[in-house]
Amino acid sequence: MIHRPRSTRRSFLKTTAATAGSFAAAPYVITSKALGDATTPPASDRIVMGGIGLGNQGSGDQGAFLGRPDVQYVAVADVRTKWREAAKERVDAKYGNKDCSAFIDFRELLARDDIDAVHIATPDQWHAIMTIAACRSGKDVYLQKPETLTLREGPLMVAAARRYGRVVSGGSQRVMEDYRDIVDPCWAGEIGTIKSVDLNAGPPAMLCFLPGMETPPDIDWDLWLGPAPWEPYNPGRCDGNFGTGGNSWRSYVDYSGGSLTDWGAHNFGGAIFAAGLLGLQPVKVSYHAPSEAGKTPHIALTYPNGVVVHCNRRPQEQPPADVPSVGHERGIRIVGDGVAVAPRPVPAYRGTGAIYGDFIECVKTRERPFRDIELACDTMTAPHMVAIAQRLERSLEWDRAAQRFVGDEEANRLLDRARREPWTL
Amino acid sequence: MALDTTTLDAPFAALTAYDFGADSSFVKTIDDAVIAAHGDATLTADLEKRFLALLGPGTKRAAKEYVCRKLSMIGTPAAVPALAALLGDKDNSHMARFALERIPGPESVAAIRGALGKVQGDLVIGMLSSLANRRDAESVPLVAPLLAGDAKVAVAAAAALGRIATPAAAAALAAAQPAAGPVADAVVDARLAAADALLAAGDRTTARGIYEAIAAQVGDAAGTRRQRAVRIAARGGVFAALDGTVAP
Repeated sequence: MIHRPRSTRRSFLKTTAATAGSFAAAPYVITSKALGDATTPPASDRIVMGGIGLGNQGSGDQGAFLGRPDVQYVAVADVRTKWREAAKERVDAKYGNKDCSAFIDFRELLARDDIDAVHIATPDQWHAIMTIAACRSGKDVYLQKPETLTLREGPLMVAAARRYGRVVSGGSQRVMEDYRDIVDPCWAGEIGTIKSVDLNAGPPAMLCFLPGMETPPDIDWDLWLGPAPWEPYNPGRCDGNFGTGGNSWRSYVDYSGGSLTDWGAHNFGGAIFAAGLLGLQPVKVSYHAPSEAGKTPHIALTYPNGVVVHCNRRPQEQPPADVPSVGHERGIRIVGDGVAVAPRPVPAYRGTGAIYGDFIECVKTRERPFRDIELACDTMTAPHMVAIAQRLERSLEWDRAAQRFVGDEEANRLLDRARREPWTL
Repeated sequence: MALDTTTLDAPFAALTAYDFGADSSFVKTIDDAVIAAHGDATLTADLEKRFLALLGPGTKRAAKEYVCRKLSMIGTPAAVPALAALLGDKDNSHMARFALERIPGPESVAAIRGALGKVQGDLVIGMLSSLANRRDAESVPLVAPLLAGDAKVAVAAAAALGRIATPAAAAALAAAQPAAGPVADAVVDARLAAADALLAAGDRTTARGIYEAIAAQVGDAAGTRRQRAVRIAARGGVFAALDGTVAP
């Protein structure tokens, strides 16, 4: 990846001025509220947004952005009629008009030049394709986690963000908001130099063997599948919300990494943040067979600074209770050497409104968001590697520069997968 | 302890008859055998032979799909002819690529390259996607002419050349003369991607030439959001090429 100079606030303001000029000629948005009021900025100062994938999490994201006075929400795209129409209705109700555009195909939304930024909350097989397409169209992106479905996608997404000067934020709000009880003491140096982390993670995704059913008229099934292998419609493939035990798209390998990457984006993210491993990728993945058949194996990820992140290590194998450590209710425990080190300031969200406000503020200032796509993709390497080691039942070494496993041709086969035509990266 | 391969007979018999929604309990035994085959050439060859026997016309799509997933893990050059035979079949082309793309060695990528001039419609795009993922430099002379054909194929051809990113691929992209529209946009995106790859590989001169050409093409006018993003990419690339700030 090449390093480009970042856009400055000055260049951003010049761009914004030009953008405002182009809005004047565009057929969208100008309303009686265009000049703003005491609580709402004028239209030219609002970030114009659209949403892609408006189901469970997407509707929540939409609500967060729609509620912001500095956002003008103008379009939605979803392959499912019920989600699409509900999303449009929420926007229209908010603004008291019928102006929100609704598209089946996300490419039509990305083609609109008046949209500054999009949020994406589709199943995971779409994340890389949509994010890269959005960057190419000059849009900033708030991308729900897990940001990647394969290891190869991360560098391509980061390259697109950097190449086109886009602000691309990953979408785990929990990384910052749920783990402060372990983040703060670690960054304060209270437990000393971090030595190891223990966390528990859920299972990887599985193959789907559900039967085919007649495709209902309210879904464009081919576009829902997109780059994933063709399979017959079954509501258990595409419905569900956050379940990963079957009958939910997050359960199946063609659309998700399962609980391992879905919750992994949160708990690996929180642990990596707390332990100061941001920006790093594991160099070694150690497989420890389970004590009994059918049990979850213990996978240990060694980072370049020597910190080892243990995933699903048995409690009796973990360090004793009296070592310097901090723990979290969700099973994350961070162990230090007990020799206090100098405190460092904990990174904070920018703007107001948690991770959504952080993203919007960075769209305005062109700074990198807290969950910058590069950090998010680095984080996601951990659960992806755990999944591969678990699947192959062996240890692995990772060459970050080459983005390949060392001397394991079968593991390298799992770096990526062929996408169904006509979809390409 | 070596796996008793007779235990595979019944699961493979079930796989032979498998269709979407049928009992799939047989796959666990086969999945475990595929994992156990690591480093065991005899078992790998046995499994591969069993899988290949299921790629013919008597097997349903669902079973072939599963077979291709497994061959993507353990397939060798011996699997290439049977998989290549599926590349022109619209129902099975993608999963054949799913396997072929992952099988190391020149045979698998040659099969995809060889199919490029034979398959039709969107399947051509599939071949281009896989050649891009394999970064197949040998395919550049076959891919370059597609830049002047059907627009959907031309967009995919441009993307493939951008991913292959050899000097020859970059030259083919530079020589393209598409009218304004999706193909022209795809060519610009691909040229920028190729320039980034060339710069990262140390070819600063070629990369800088590409960036400067695109910067000149997009000009200084405010333009669309897309044009501004391209301007950022091209000008940022020029700076990077000038000061050599290439990440290791």
